[in-house]
Amino acid sequence: MPYHLFKCSECIPERKKHAVIKGHGETLADALPLGYLNTIPGTISERGCAYCGAKHVIGTPMKDVIHMSHGPVGCTYDTWQTKRYISDNDNFQLKYTYATDMKEKHIVFGAEKLLKQNIIEAFRAFPNIKRMTIYQTCASALIGDDINAVAQEVMEEMPGVDIFVCNSPGFGGPSQSGGHHKINIAWIKQKVGTVEPKITSDYVINYVGEYNIQGDQEVMLDYFKRMGIQVLSSFTGNGSYDDLRAMHRAHLNVLECARSAEYICNELRVKYGTPRLDIDGFGFEPLAASLRKVGLFFGIEDRAQAIIAEETARWKPELDWYKERLKGKKVCLWPGGSKLWHWAHAIHEEMGVEVVSVYTKFGHQGDMEKGISRCEEGALAIDDPNELEGLEAMEMLKPDIIFTGKRPGEVAKKIRVPYLNAHAYHNGPWKGFEGWVRFARDIYNAIYSPLHQLSYLDISKDEIPTDKGFLTQRMLSDANLSEEIVSSSNLREYTGKYDIISDLRGKTYPDFPAPKQLSAV
Amino acid sequence: MTEDLMKERIAQLVDYIMKKCLWQFHSRAWDRERQNAGILTKTMQILCEEPVENQTPADRCYWVDAVCLADGFRQKYPWLDSMDKAEIKILMQGLKDRIDFLTITGSLNEELTVPLY
Amino acid sequence: MACELKEKERAGVINPIFTCQPCGAQYASIGIRDCIGVVHGGQGCVMFVRLLFSQHFKESFELASSSVHEDGAVFGALNRVEEAVDVLLMRYPHVKVIPIITTCCTEVIGDDVDGVVRKLNEGLLKEKYADREVYLIPIHTPSFKGSMVSGYDVAVKDFVSYFAKKDQPNGKLNLITGWANPGDVTALKHLLAEMGVDATVLFEIESFDSPLMPEGNHVSHGSTTIEDLTGTANALGTIALNRYEGGQAAGYLESEFGVPAIIGPTPIGIRNTDTFLRNVQKLTGRPIPESLVRERGIAIDALTDFTHMFLADKKVAIYGSADLVVGLAEFCLDLEMKPVLLLLGDDNKAYPDDPRIKALQENVAFDMEVVMNADLWELENRIKNQGLKLDLILGHSKGRFTSIDYNIPMVRAGFPTYDRAGHYRYPVVGYAGAIWLGETIANTLFADMEYKKNKEWVLNVW
Repeated sequence: MPYHLFKCSECIPERKKHAVIKGHGETLADALPLGYLNTIPGTISERGCAYCGAKHVIGTPMKDVIHMSHGPVGCTYDTWQTKRYISDNDNFQLKYTYATDMKEKHIVFGAEKLLKQNIIEAFRAFPNIKRMTIYQTCASALIGDDINAVAQEVMEEMPGVDIFVCNSPGFGGPSQSGGHHKINIAWIKQKVGTVEPKITSDYVINYVGEYNIQGDQEVMLDYFKRMGIQVLSSFTGNGSYDDLRAMHRAHLNVLECARSAEYICNELRVKYGTPRLDIDGFGFEPLAASLRKVGLFFGIEDRAQAIIAEETARWKPELDWYKERLKGKKVCLWPGGSKLWHWAHAIHEEMGVEVVSVYTKFGHQGDMEKGISRCEEGALAIDDPNELEGLEAMEMLKPDIIFTGKRPGEVAKKIRVPYLNAHAYHNGPWKGFEGWVRFARDIYNAIYSPLHQLSYLDISKDEIPTDKGFLTQRMLSDANLSEEIVSSSNLREYTGKYDIISDLRGKTYPDFPAPKQLSAV
Repeated sequence: MTEDLMKERIAQLVDYIMKKCLWQFHSRAWDRERQNAGILTKTMQILCEEPVENQTPADRCYWVDAVCLADGFRQKYPWLDSMDKAEIKILMQGLKDRIDFLTITGSLNEELTVPLY
Repeated sequence: MACELKEKERAGVINPIFTCQPCGAQYASIGIRDCIGVVHGGQGCVMFVRLLFSQHFKESFELASSSVHEDGAVFGALNRVEEAVDVLLMRYPHVKVIPIITTCCTEVIGDDVDGVVRKLNEGLLKEKYADREVYLIPIHTPSFKGSMVSGYDVAVKDFVSYFAKKDQPNGKLNLITGWANPGDVTALKHLLAEMGVDATVLFEIESFDSPLMPEGNHVSHGSTTIEDLTGTANALGTIALNRYEGGQAAGYLESEFGVPAIIGPTPIGIRNTDTFLRNVQKLTGRPIPESLVRERGIAIDALTDFTHMFLADKKVAIYGSADLVVGLAEFCLDLEMKPVLLLLGDDNKAYPDDPRIKALQENVAFDMEVVMNADLWELENRIKNQGLKLDLILGHSKGRFTSIDYNIPMVRAGFPTYDRAGHYRYPVVGYAGAIWLGETIANTLFADMEYKKNKEWVLNVW
């Protein structure tokens, strides 16, 4: 039986088609969870809305932009300071958020005037910022305010400013994914092709579907720069508004999170003929293959290989130190969308853990195809999970750790399953070679937390080891390891710094020989 | 080579692609057809040491995935070296048929035929 | 040189102090046992509020959504409420209380939530759940009115008016705490216990701070019962500590059932705690015991140790909900500090008539601004562009970057506080709250002196 109906969901049998256990000899053609369907009300699903998919996930990482929500104050408040997408301009987009503060009278009489006043006030408050995105909300969509017209009017009256309008109300789709789609399509329709960039290299890419969580984008940018590649734009982590208007001039779109950003890559391919290359920035082997592919594309494979060799030599001994200690640990890989397939195979292969379950809150069937493909047999895949199903799955699978969001992480904690924040990371970045070691280190620290061991003990009846004043992670993790591994001089614990991003920002890069010709490919 | 052995080898290659690649899972059927044909044809050409078109941006993008795939196959499956070109062609055709089935014709993904991205 | 009351001049909001009404209704509903709210609107209205609670408490709370999608927004979404109630009841057999909390979306499309509740009462509940005690309570909290504070006020009143029922006097005191933390409830219950007063606390939220146990699952949830709510009609009296967070419910009990109500003051600081205890005495007739005289003495002793030397004349900005902000400002004045800027985060029209604000206007002899309908830009703009000099900021975590970027020490107070560990465990009310607040302020200033090397040697001999 490949499809799995949770006991807690027997009363809502339509849930059966949303969970699959990967059976022996079974393929994607035998069973695939449904996805991206309307949520069953009252299930306590973990999904968000289409507004947050547009504004919070994709819009706001753009760093030099006033992000204004046209609606009551809650939408903007709720999607402010709940993510870790940093930027190299002192986190402007994290610090400031704007709401037009729609009130009852505006619902009755319209809020276009209010919107215009807001736009002018916001530009006045931040005279150095000339770019703005306006996000529609449920309220402004339902009263039918013409945001485009207001934006147009202001752009005519205030030369030098540019405004992007994203019409993605909260109800616009089954989940945040509806908003990912809407903002992708709106951006290419409204903005791509409206700026001509300065091309400084023969090798020009857009880096797409990357949100600079704890500095991921900056880690990857470092590799690209070391290869002499010009990253024309980042969609959207640490990305600049005007750079993203010039996306049409790249030679290649390098795509990470296909869930949230494949739309714009597909449209760019159709409209401008720019090919789409899907990559993985997570995991030594997938990352190495990704850098190699980008290098091959431009005929500079040697530069990629040099980076791969250097980084692997530096960090592989540290990754392997953790792998020895994480082997066989059971993981529930329960992220939002793309990480189920970015991580499923890589953590199994390179950290030795067993992925016993994957889930996706807002993924589509395509994400499940990728995720299930990358799992081993026996893994339980769940679409749009809800609170009770999550608990039942953990009771059934007894994972050693769960990678999920902050709040579901608190649910896991209460049944003594440690969690790592799959969206915002614990001590990221987790992309890049060093980042991958940081991920392994975070997993190790969570699983072998001395405190975590104590949570299983019942002081009233269990035997309590009163001869110990402390335990360390090493005492726990190395107890059953061979002497050879424990004392191996080839392996070592993570040696990096707490903050590895600040140094990258001041780094200078070698000049490669002058461009042979523009548009190399 | 027996049919069973061929099947078994195709299954290994399928597993490799499914675990390590992403190109086979574009979101629409027409893209998957294009991707599968582009990349697997070029992979076959590389394995058979035939000339490979890689000058247009689209061809080049298929080609980079094909180069990595061919390298991966050769590294992981030493039995490839013992196959002659005719056999490799049959193998790769079988692989393409299987991938097409899993990702297109036999796929349960209901979004493959949605007309817009 | 005086206290000036004004409104924010800008139309919009840059860095809001509050989120919208449904959040307040959700906060009230998690305080009731066997209650899971259904928020009727888009999924973000629940998902983010749950995240917010989870950030503040480092716990997860149960709240459901009716998951209104495109079709619902166009054709009406009452069927989603019906389905949500049924699904919730089927899968959570302990649930008795289901508030249906509206949002801007479902208020604008005009969904008749009261009507659907009647329909469910007559239909689904009778047919499918006949042997089960279930209460469906419509709570109207359109996001385009008020703020999370008024949403909380509305919900408390709706819960009380739904359940309160006249019966024999129960000899208890109703204590409506307002938007409190577990630490506050513990401190308040301690004061009442010392006075020998039996109270119905709305809401019993000490259990929000839930344990990690060797076995089982311990979901964080409040423990106020239906009986508690029903009995509020039969109390000796009601004290609502916060005028804008539960005051309506106290007023309702007084006008509907003749339960005498005392609204405010928020017992922040020694003086307001004194008033609170006197009010308890007035309603219950219980004397204030020696133990509280001693506790009060300890608090005054503790504060006296540092207040003249370190706190006098320090300039403070305070933002958040009006009850908290005014309470903190009053305490700061008693501590000889100068609260020069008070930011009230919504447009409640009652603020100008608030006697506490009037008292500030009449008595403060230094420049003080009280800004209504304020956002956090009112704070930052004054610092960045208008030369405001501050020694301290008091407020919740959303203002953290103002403190960080302008090097102004900050003590977290209010909701949400997610960038400090365990703050919810400590009270700001009562004598215990006065000690904790005062000492935290002092220690924060000390750390700042050391960090900035600003007369840090003073502390050598303190």
